[in-house]
Amino acid sequence: MIAINILSDAFFAAIAGIGFGAISNPPLRAFRYIALLAAVGHACRYCLMTFSGVEIATASLAGAFIIGMGSLWFGKKVHSPMTVLYIPALLPMIPGKFAYNMVFSLIMFLHSMDDPVEKMKYMDMFFSNTMVTITVVFLLAVGATFPLFLFPKRASSLTRHKI
Amino acid sequence: MNRKEENLCDVEEFIAEYAAHMMGCGIHTSRVIRSAKRIGEAYGYVVKISVFQKSLILTLKDEHNPCSEVVDIPSLPISFEHNSELSALSWETYDDHLPLDILRGKYNRIISAPPIHPPIVLLFASLANASFCRLFGGDWCSMGIVFLATVAGLFLKQKMSASGINHYIVFIASALAASLCASTSLIFDTTSDIALATSVLFLVPGVPLINGVIDIVEGHTLTGFARLTQAALLIICIAIGLSSTLFFVKDRLI
Repeated sequence: MIAINILSDAFFAAIAGIGFGAISNPPLRAFRYIALLAAVGHACRYCLMTFSGVEIATASLAGAFIIGMGSLWFGKKVHSPMTVLYIPALLPMIPGKFAYNMVFSLIMFLHSMDDPVEKMKYMDMFFSNTMVTITVVFLLAVGATFPLFLFPKRASSLTRHKI
Repeated sequence: MNRKEENLCDVEEFIAEYAAHMMGCGIHTSRVIRSAKRIGEAYGYVVKISVFQKSLILTLKDEHNPCSEVVDIPSLPISFEHNSELSALSWETYDDHLPLDILRGKYNRIISAPPIHPPIVLLFASLANASFCRLFGGDWCSMGIVFLATVAGLFLKQKMSASGINHYIVFIASALAASLCASTSLIFDTTSDIALATSVLFLVPGVPLINGVIDIVEGHTLTGFARLTQAALLIICIAIGLSSTLFFVKDRLI
């Protein structure tokens, strides 16, 4: 059952990666690697959060770092820059539910200005969701970009055909 | 080797167009600068370049004369294909010493290649958003609703963008259309809050968000903040569209 859950998470993350990638017009040869990176990165975050009790920010950082390293590896195979592979692969990890709760709590906060208890509840909800959303998005970008600073020479010559 | 065989200002004109196109289609600043310098070096010239959000200043120099130009950066759709191919073209020029007319021919072929067919993008993006709904714990009914909501929202976005309508208005209208369609999930006994939350996520401007962080970390703070500001404005537009729907259905969500 655990294996099925992990595989299902990876499968849907792969479809999400391919679909969100298609919006930004990547080269056709990059699609399979985008799917693979999205699947591995998201499944890694799922495992860390579900089985190790790691919170969403650290788990996202770990998932993004794996995606970044993978894009450095596969980038040479398909002669594509790292960003072409890792940006679509990261998108399934965007904390959409927290972003939605941020907007929802803002609306409810404005709607309950006359009720101090409700107002405080929605203000608290707004700030906690905003903090999680901003932190996770920032860590996703940092985690995936980090390999670019670790291996700058390789990262800048991924599109070079001559060895 | 083409050292100094090509006219200084002809090479400068090409590199200015090449760099402006790369900036316009969503490539992070350091890659644009590296690729532009690489092409200049292939012809034996030194390239100095300053990049801003809406324009760039380029100077090409040999031992005696400089040639400078300020070019506007066009607003182009994000294209990873152009990112890959234009970057590879700079390496090919550097390694194989392509003459300028051949380089220009290859460049024109790359930028005029057709993008992925819009209906295929519509199908893939809708499947992606439905999968996203599943990842957040949505059930099959919610996935179906999110799929249809994304088809409606993205179709509207494609049509409005093709008509040249302001992109902030496009984002607000698309988010509103997608979330309104997703709000039909309230009729059914399903995970309607997840359906509503995921219906607008196909609009998230992931490329400027991540390029902004890369630019800032690499020291191109001006362009980095400009990209992040652009992304933040688009996210606010998505929030406005979603908020309008939530305003109507909030009582049923509590």
